[in-house]
Amino acid sequence: MRKVIKGNGAVAHGVRLARAQVISAYPITPQTSIIEELASMVAEGELDARFIKVESEHSAMAGCIAASSAGARAFTATSAQGLALMHELIHWAAGARLPIVLANVNRAMAPGWSIWTDQNDSLSQRDTGWMQVYCESSQEVVDSVIQAFKVSERVLLPTIVVLDAFFLSHTYEDVEIPEQELVDGFLPPLELPQKLDLEHPAALGNLVFPDRYMEFRRKMELAQQHALGVWEEVGREWGELTGRPYGLLEEYRTDGAELVLVCAATAASTARVVVDRMRDAGIPVGLVRLRVFRPFPADAFRAVLGGRRKVLVLDRNCSFGHHGIFHQEIKSALFELPAAEQPEIRGVIAGLGGRDITPEDIEDMLTRAWEGRLEEATTWWDVLPAEDPVRAASVRS
Amino acid sequence: MVEINPRTLDDVPATSYSDHATTAIKTGTWKYVQPVYEDKLPACSHRCPAGNDISRFLYLTAKGDLLEAARWIRRGNPLPATLGRVCPHPCEDECNRGPLGGAIAIHMMERFLGDQGAAEELLPERAPATGKRVAVVGAGPAGIAAAYNLALRGHEVEVLDDKPEPGGFLRTGIPQYRLPREVLDREIALVERCGVRFVPDTRVGRDVSLDELRERFDAVLVAIGFHGSRPLGVPGEDHEHVYNGVRLLERILAGERPELPPRMAVVGGGNTAMDVARSLRRIGVEPVVVYRRSRMEMPAIPTEVDEALAEGIEMVFLTAPKRVVIEGGRITGLECVKMRLGEPDESGRRRPVPVEGSEHVVPVSGIVTAIGETAELDMLPEPLRDGWRVAHDARFATPLEGVFTAGDVATGEGTVTAAVGTGRRAAAVIDAFLRGEALPEEAPRVQVLWGRQVRLDTVVHVEQLNLAYHKEAPRPGIEELDPAVRVRDFSEVVRSFTAERAIEEARRCLECGTCNECLNCLWFCPDVAIHKRSGFGFDIDEEHCKGCGICVEECPRDALTLVEVER
Repeated sequence: MRKVIKGNGAVAHGVRLARAQVISAYPITPQTSIIEELASMVAEGELDARFIKVESEHSAMAGCIAASSAGARAFTATSAQGLALMHELIHWAAGARLPIVLANVNRAMAPGWSIWTDQNDSLSQRDTGWMQVYCESSQEVVDSVIQAFKVSERVLLPTIVVLDAFFLSHTYEDVEIPEQELVDGFLPPLELPQKLDLEHPAALGNLVFPDRYMEFRRKMELAQQHALGVWEEVGREWGELTGRPYGLLEEYRTDGAELVLVCAATAASTARVVVDRMRDAGIPVGLVRLRVFRPFPADAFRAVLGGRRKVLVLDRNCSFGHHGIFHQEIKSALFELPAAEQPEIRGVIAGLGGRDITPEDIEDMLTRAWEGRLEEATTWWDVLPAEDPVRAASVRS
Repeated sequence: MVEINPRTLDDVPATSYSDHATTAIKTGTWKYVQPVYEDKLPACSHRCPAGNDISRFLYLTAKGDLLEAARWIRRGNPLPATLGRVCPHPCEDECNRGPLGGAIAIHMMERFLGDQGAAEELLPERAPATGKRVAVVGAGPAGIAAAYNLALRGHEVEVLDDKPEPGGFLRTGIPQYRLPREVLDREIALVERCGVRFVPDTRVGRDVSLDELRERFDAVLVAIGFHGSRPLGVPGEDHEHVYNGVRLLERILAGERPELPPRMAVVGGGNTAMDVARSLRRIGVEPVVVYRRSRMEMPAIPTEVDEALAEGIEMVFLTAPKRVVIEGGRITGLECVKMRLGEPDESGRRRPVPVEGSEHVVPVSGIVTAIGETAELDMLPEPLRDGWRVAHDARFATPLEGVFTAGDVATGEGTVTAAVGTGRRAAAVIDAFLRGEALPEEAPRVQVLWGRQVRLDTVVHVEQLNLAYHKEAPRPGIEELDPAVRVRDFSEVVRSFTAERAIEEARRCLECGTCNECLNCLWFCPDVAIHKRSGFGFDIDEEHCKGCGICVEECPRDALTLVEVER
């Protein structure tokens, strides 16, 4: 069924079709309409789930952990400060190997207080053991939520499905909403190998001494590596069922491209227009859209970027003190290539706190990269210049 | 338990778990505070002059165990059916349910439970006979309460009274429409069955001397109450149609129907004034209540005033008598002066001041005085007389060895409930005296006599409750006979609760400071360290309770306390 819906609505439909059994969530702009829609679906009987109202995101995740430990398919959604507040339990959920799915609407962290998009909230959860998928469209959101449950339940790791605040969460577009029957065939009911059982009491997450702890962490890492193949397999299977296949990353006009732009989420839609325009003008540019960020598809990036002349990574985030995060990761992956195949790589940080990244911005940054006019390893885009760096860095003038 | 000794990662579980219970971890060693089950004093019981264990008998009622509740209320209080009818119930002013739908109708519950059970079911256990003998002088509420408690403690008790039947003021001063005589008779009969002997028509100082009693008995309790009446102090009050309210009421309540003038002034604003006026109304006399202050200052129980007004009884306020107007040997009126309220006096009420030139005549042909009762102590030996009261110390002991006192003649509190309370407390002191134990410095508080562990230094007010658990629920209405019907005779005005209504009302009780096994603590304990006993209550597994305090926080009624662990 085709419907014109918001990105947040797409999340709700994905969760409904996945037949989540427990939704434990706390509202926060710009996530709120996700859980409002889900609450209404539960109230209307469209979704047979327990909707748990909680007093904080920390409790929201605690509810998901409890539900998932008992073998229920659990979902929550949040943004920015809410995700940060969950952080302790974000670690717990992954360490407990619970296949929870969380939708995070990318919102800039405060202060200064912001409700607009950037990726620092989700990327701050990079090292928790969760998988992360960045979506470009509402269609991808519906599809990815359903896939996320499947992959998570296969590898026993939780997944964050990420969408941009407002650019995606609150814009309407035409979406094909899969039939329930199709999803039921794709995503079987959850059967966890190990769950709370009143008949056989056990303590979960108990103390582990140094002689065993590392083994559990090694298994998490193996699960992440294993998940790369599972994401590919599941994305292919989804394509066979719906005609919409997904991979770890997405290439656009990379054939013959000597300069490849890497970016994620809605900025990629803008970049497509620019790539078309520049190709028409005879400049050999291409686009790679990062989709699955954890596990990190290093091989896939090496395969698509190795041997190019130049790579430009557009980050809507910053690891303060060292580049944008996608830039870091891609650079580290490419370092394993033979020297001759290593492209020149530059990073751009743009669009923080919801600032627009326009086609003109992208065209300008690609042109400068192509002409070798990006001197710094990382360039902060569209930001006031610093005349005296020391004075500019100080708290007040 | 399965021994896990993996050789490869394949055999390591996905996450850490133990098929042992968590009991292996002694989380109890972490604590520096720990919860203890500790019932506290509910605000209602704190205010009960008779020391009723209200939350406990309501708990038993809520469970549907009406007989056990009836037994519980009779522990130490022999007159619940009576008190439930006549007490002004200060407990309800304090009830923490007040803001959540209205106070529990505690007096209706006391009355209901007082009416429950047959004598043989209600007979409490008596302590082994001590061979000691006690004479109680006065068979009013204080004397009955003391006699009952002393008998239950194994002593032999005789209650002497100058009236032909026991009950004191309950019989001579409280009209049947408030306290039916079969209710009183039933309660007194129960006291008799507990071994108390009532000796009628015997007045100390006339038929027997106090010294004689001291010789024949091991202890004597003087609880003779207030029966004297204050004079009006106005010219003409010696006229034959100026009646002493207490005496007139006694005659009417005993069934006499004296020839009375058709319209009479009842002077006073207390309960006796209300009882006289309403009783007169019931025998065809038209009363008009004359009170020198305003309605707000009336010492009568407010509901009694409401009921009197509903019965069409005329009241004139801020009016004080000055002279009985007698024409041709007959009373034609009561000359009064209007009053206004001045500065507060020692009772805290504003003192009435005459308004000059406001003299007027209230047309009546008879007058009843009801301006307060006093003790009549003339027949007691000198050392016992201390102004209006019997001399005594904080233990209710008089200057005479082995002679104690209780009730109005001791404290002058003026309610039946207070009389019962002092009777209970004096009985505890006399018991210690008879057993040759050291007397306490003070008579124990009446709540000490409950026979269950309650921390009495902490009164539970609404701030101590977890209001998240208490929803608003309305107080039930109390049914009364229609005023037009009830003034025809002395039928009881207020109708009792049905058992169904009583149980429903008991369930509204918040059980302040009183564990009622709601199980919240057990469900909330994150360490499964709280275990239900096979009998009443819970045990805390000290080895595993880590002192988080969640049970204390989630207890809806403050029946748990967090205390520091001593190390």
